[in-house]
Amino acid sequence: MALLKREEWQGFVRDVDWSYSYVDDEAVYPEWHSGTGKVPREAWLAWEESYKVSYPEYVATQREKEAAAYAVKAALQRSSVWEGLDEGWKSATKMHFGGVSLSEYAAVLAELKMARFGLNGAWRNMAVFGQLDELRHTSITTFFGHEFISRDPQYDWTQKAFQTNDWVAISLRNLFDAMMSSANVVDIALQLPLVFETGFTNLQFVALAADALASGDVNFANMISSIQTDEARHSQQGGPTLEILVEYDPVRAQWVVDKTFWASARALAALTGTSMDYYTPLEHRKQSYREFMEEWIIDQFVRTVEQYGLKKPWYWDEFLQGLDIWHHALHMGLWVWRPTIWWRPMAAVSRDERAWLAEKYPNWEKVFGDKWDVIIDNVNAGHVPATLPETLPWLCSTCHLPCCNATQSRGGTWRVRDFPLSYDGRTYHFCTKACRQIFWKDRANVNHLTLVDRFLAGQIQPMDVGGILGYMGLTPDVMGDDPDYQAWTRDYAGRPAEGLASTAAAQP
Amino acid sequence: MTAEPGPEDRPPELVPLNAVFATDFVQILVPVTTANTMAEVAAAVAYHVEGKRVRALPYEKVVIYQGERLPAEMTVAAAGIKPLDHIAVEYDIPERS
Repeated sequence: MALLKREEWQGFVRDVDWSYSYVDDEAVYPEWHSGTGKVPREAWLAWEESYKVSYPEYVATQREKEAAAYAVKAALQRSSVWEGLDEGWKSATKMHFGGVSLSEYAAVLAELKMARFGLNGAWRNMAVFGQLDELRHTSITTFFGHEFISRDPQYDWTQKAFQTNDWVAISLRNLFDAMMSSANVVDIALQLPLVFETGFTNLQFVALAADALASGDVNFANMISSIQTDEARHSQQGGPTLEILVEYDPVRAQWVVDKTFWASARALAALTGTSMDYYTPLEHRKQSYREFMEEWIIDQFVRTVEQYGLKKPWYWDEFLQGLDIWHHALHMGLWVWRPTIWWRPMAAVSRDERAWLAEKYPNWEKVFGDKWDVIIDNVNAGHVPATLPETLPWLCSTCHLPCCNATQSRGGTWRVRDFPLSYDGRTYHFCTKACRQIFWKDRANVNHLTLVDRFLAGQIQPMDVGGILGYMGLTPDVMGDDPDYQAWTRDYAGRPAEGLASTAAAQP
Repeated sequence: MTAEPGPEDRPPELVPLNAVFATDFVQILVPVTTANTMAEVAAAVAYHVEGKRVRALPYEKVVIYQGERLPAEMTVAAAGIKPLDHIAVEYDIPERS
């Protein structure tokens, strides 16, 4: 019997669906999982992915990708490349392994949800490939990170981070739970494939791959490039879903896209912004975080939303202003609270590095330079303990990152301002106006306790620094510290320094 | 017959605050009590930042709450500052004449 040609069977296979006679459609596709909302059920019949793939084609391609990635890894395993990597770059990879490996697993569950509850056979079919992709990403990221545990225990957080109550892990779980786990599949298709995968994964996987190669970390570049090749295929679940939703419920489409873009931008400022502008050695930096955001995220995002008839988000000005502030402040926060993280954050504010920062971000010295100068003078005076924290940063009730975004007043002064909200008998604080707005509109959903909330509720015992570190799962062999204080303070050694905590001048 | 006890007569209660010191880059958690004066509150906030991230200046420090400068001797209870409220602490730098 002759085999059918591809075009003769694919149209049928990719879109298998049938009418139910023993149960209602609602029983199979309940609203709380399928989320059709104002979209008539039959409208989903028009759902069509632009790039079609069959299972044999998928398996053959993925097999090649896996073989290539693991061959490079096997070849490099016997080399001493890792030993020669810069500590700052290693930190970028530790942050990535811990922050990403089990986020990929959350994406497996999101794809499986779409594979079960998606409102069109072609969509469900595409989501099956998507979940296989995400399972591969979970495996490869966990396995590549695992290799280094014997050399450095911080790599153990590749698998551990997401399962702890570390504040960074809480923030990421909060983001990905809302994006991938708790939502219905229509919202998931907009949040995960459309906003996050067509946009923000470029940041961590494309930008960081370039910096990885420049830093000599071929293995890491190879791993994340291999992952990124999958994104283009399964991320196309977003477009057809948005197209249908916009037609029947543009307000919902706009809201879901807007809030996800914002939440992703906040998290990636911490994850990628710090890696690109601080942890990557100066001589290996390809672009600043801001430049990369402008080229890869902003232009593309604006084109995408306009193409589908949506508007720029309501917070657009606040977001653009944040490109000069957020990741610099988060870097300082991660550095100051370094015992609470599973990597070794390099301050990276030597004279040359500051000149680069000031060139890329003209306000950097004015907003951040003064604080780093006091920290530098304390280190040079032999008072490193004065640079360590004795309390918690206040964490935003929406993004769970520190409230650390200075804004400029009309008079020109830069201050971290408060964005409070009284709701349900208590006061919440937010890092930005948009985080407050998202909390208010989503308050029945995004309402997790921050680490500060947990501390004040007595969930962390004893209520001291040791208790907090224990609650977060940090042990002395893993707690972060700056890998080389001299590297960024020696340029300033010997300069006069007043107004330090350790000197009499500190007291009026 | 004695007068009804006011807030100042109660035993001090813990008041965790969201605080920011002058030009510092982040809001921090600072616990004070209802009996603390604004001078003590300012010092409690400054302890975490002054000379550590913000260079110490030879001026008095003032607490700003809901846009108002509060007197140094006023207590947290008298000021009506409640748990989880936000305060800013600033140097009282004389205006240049």
